[in-house]
Amino acid sequence: MSSYGGWLRGKTVKKGAASSSSVNTRSSTPHVQSTSTTIYGGGIKDPSGRVTEYFSMEDQCPVCKSDRYLNPKLRLLVSTCYHKMHVLSILLILMRVLTGVFRCESCIDRLFTLGPAPCPICSKVLRKLAFSPQTFEDLEVEKEVAIRRRLAKEFNKRLEDFDDLRDYNDYLQEVEDIAFNLINNIDVPQTEAKIQAYKAANAALTAANIQREEAYALALKEQEDFDRREREARAAQLVQEQEQERLEREREQNELISKLETSGKDAKKLVAKARLSQQKRQSARASEKSVLSGGMGFGADYAKLLKARTNKAKTSVPDEPHVPLQDDWYGYEDLYVLRPSYDDIFSEAVRKDREGIMRAGGYMVEEAWNRALRSAMAGLELEPLVGLQTEEPPLSAVDAGGDVIMA
Amino acid sequence: MSVDSPSPAPAPPKKPLYEASTQFKHWRYSQESLADVRSKLNEAAVAVIRQTFEAYEPGSSSNVSFLNANEEHLLVTFYVTRITQLCGHFRFPEEVEATAATYLKRFYLKNTVMDWHPKNVMLTALFLATKTTNNPISLEAYTHNIPNTSPSDVLDLEFLIAQSLGFEFAVWHAHRALWGICLTSALQQLPSIPPDYAKSQSSVYDTALNHVRASRLTDAEFLYTPSQIALAAFSLTAPEIAQQWLESKQTLSESSPTKIGSGVLGSIETIKSIIINAGQRPETEAVREVDRRLRLCKNPEKVVGSKAYLARKAEEEKKAEERRSRKVASTGEGVDPFGDELDQPKPSLVDYDDDDDDD
Repeated sequence: MSSYGGWLRGKTVKKGAASSSSVNTRSSTPHVQSTSTTIYGGGIKDPSGRVTEYFSMEDQCPVCKSDRYLNPKLRLLVSTCYHKMHVLSILLILMRVLTGVFRCESCIDRLFTLGPAPCPICSKVLRKLAFSPQTFEDLEVEKEVAIRRRLAKEFNKRLEDFDDLRDYNDYLQEVEDIAFNLINNIDVPQTEAKIQAYKAANAALTAANIQREEAYALALKEQEDFDRREREARAAQLVQEQEQERLEREREQNELISKLETSGKDAKKLVAKARLSQQKRQSARASEKSVLSGGMGFGADYAKLLKARTNKAKTSVPDEPHVPLQDDWYGYEDLYVLRPSYDDIFSEAVRKDREGIMRAGGYMVEEAWNRALRSAMAGLELEPLVGLQTEEPPLSAVDAGGDVIMA
Repeated sequence: MSVDSPSPAPAPPKKPLYEASTQFKHWRYSQESLADVRSKLNEAAVAVIRQTFEAYEPGSSSNVSFLNANEEHLLVTFYVTRITQLCGHFRFPEEVEATAATYLKRFYLKNTVMDWHPKNVMLTALFLATKTTNNPISLEAYTHNIPNTSPSDVLDLEFLIAQSLGFEFAVWHAHRALWGICLTSALQQLPSIPPDYAKSQSSVYDTALNHVRASRLTDAEFLYTPSQIALAAFSLTAPEIAQQWLESKQTLSESSPTKIGSGVLGSIETIKSIIINAGQRPETEAVREVDRRLRLCKNPEKVVGSKAYLARKAEEEKKAEERRSRKVASTGEGVDPFGDELDQPKPSLVDYDDDDDDD
């Protein structure tokens, strides 16, 4: 219903320019046609509630073979039987609806008006209402979006619903597996059964989460409304203040002039006095303003909700950091001391190299020294092996010809 | 004993870094096991080649004198010296030269010269070493500077060598350890160091480095650790300083996990004698003699153009063909991997691209 909500509310919905002018523009680049005058559901809605349809000069109805060149008002809809073949054959399942005046019947009308009928291409039984406008050029994407939208309604658990991150990640993996299976038509009956089982087991939680989500969306909206109202109020107040200020200044000016005219006091003193009172008034207003703005509350409900969310997230079990290197070797560190500098003829050129040409790639002469010093100590204590070992070093596989066998 | 604060379990003693290396794990031999590996490899190779000779020309193997393990080793050692010459020609760093020599020596602990002539293996080992030590050179530039060599000569053996090395390309080198020793000994205020030591330091280093280079012609690197070889080379040059250096390290290591015992002195002395006795270029005449005999006793299956070589090639071809046909059968014949032909012709009556653009 909401797909033509915009239309009901009287919003102007622009038809894609391409639908009317494409008669003469023979470009074969894809266009995007925007429309909401459809009785067919589905399709992907943009934020304003409109469905954007995919539209291309290459379109052709696979059933009656009429194409966009001869019939610019051709409109193609997608059935529910997305094929799993390659892209070109997916085009075959496009169905045509003629919204033009010169022909009253369309393929969909002709085939499906009398109730469910088999698809002329894959002979899966279809209903008229199961057709939906195409949003994406690639029908695989269309299908994936539809499946994910469906799954998101059922699988709406959150991190707070789990004891730790591990469980949550497992759950996400499970959902992803289901989505993958449905998209690629792997074990569809089993997957559907899995979804049903999940639905039954988690009905209460799902409903609660939907409510939570709605409450959150509502709170968000309230907050936005509140912010907007506040902004408007502030703007109005500002205008009012400016007006007041202007009036007062005029009044004072007049007063001053009249005083200068009537009283015999020193003119300079009178002017100074007037200035002083003006300044006082301004500072008073500024302090008033700060009090006002300080008292303004933040969207109370929203803040509470946010806080509740973060508090809950904090109680979950912290994730263990991943340590990639677990082995711990002794690097002879106590047997040598790396000095800040050495009188070393080999690294002389590097050390004198002020521009750092030789240090490309992060070369540090200290590292080279360190390696040499460590190398001088490494294995110094090892006694040589004696005698024949029982365990010989593994020889690589050698075939009858004495060659190493190539894998 | 208080129960409320259990003392943490003592951490297991850390293993020294060198013992993590593949050099320690897979390429460390005893004097005896090294000789054993070589003689067994030689025996096996001779048996196989003799069999091959007999298979194609019965009775032909009786008057062939095969190489023994020592002669094989002599030939390999000669080609280690050729690596040094090539490295001088290309101006490769010490690292490349040492790595290539190690690769060549390790390769012939797994293979025999009667199968793979060291002349070719040496070229590939050097090329491989330039890559593994981060001193790359283009294959064209490399082969262009070596007469009678084509890129395929180098590349054909590359995988075989890498596989024989067990893909263990990292090598701990004695020359680096020598540098480390020289760095520390230069700064230690040892009483016996002559006042002009700093000046003579470079000459001491150069002499010691020559000893390290000589050690590459020996089996020292399979028997001892690089630091011990370096210390022996240093000791050959400046015995007193080496002695003091070792003593200072021994006292330092009293409490460390790798306590340097007095046995090291014995090892050092042995390495010294190895370097002096075996660290020489093999005599050219002896090598030429071995090479002449090698031409006769090469594995006939590896000699391009020979009867055995052709037979072997044909057999391999047959095997590969079999494998291919089995693969085709398993995937199901006649199925186009890219799917069936599209039976839907392009529907448009008008070619949009062929537009006269009059609108």
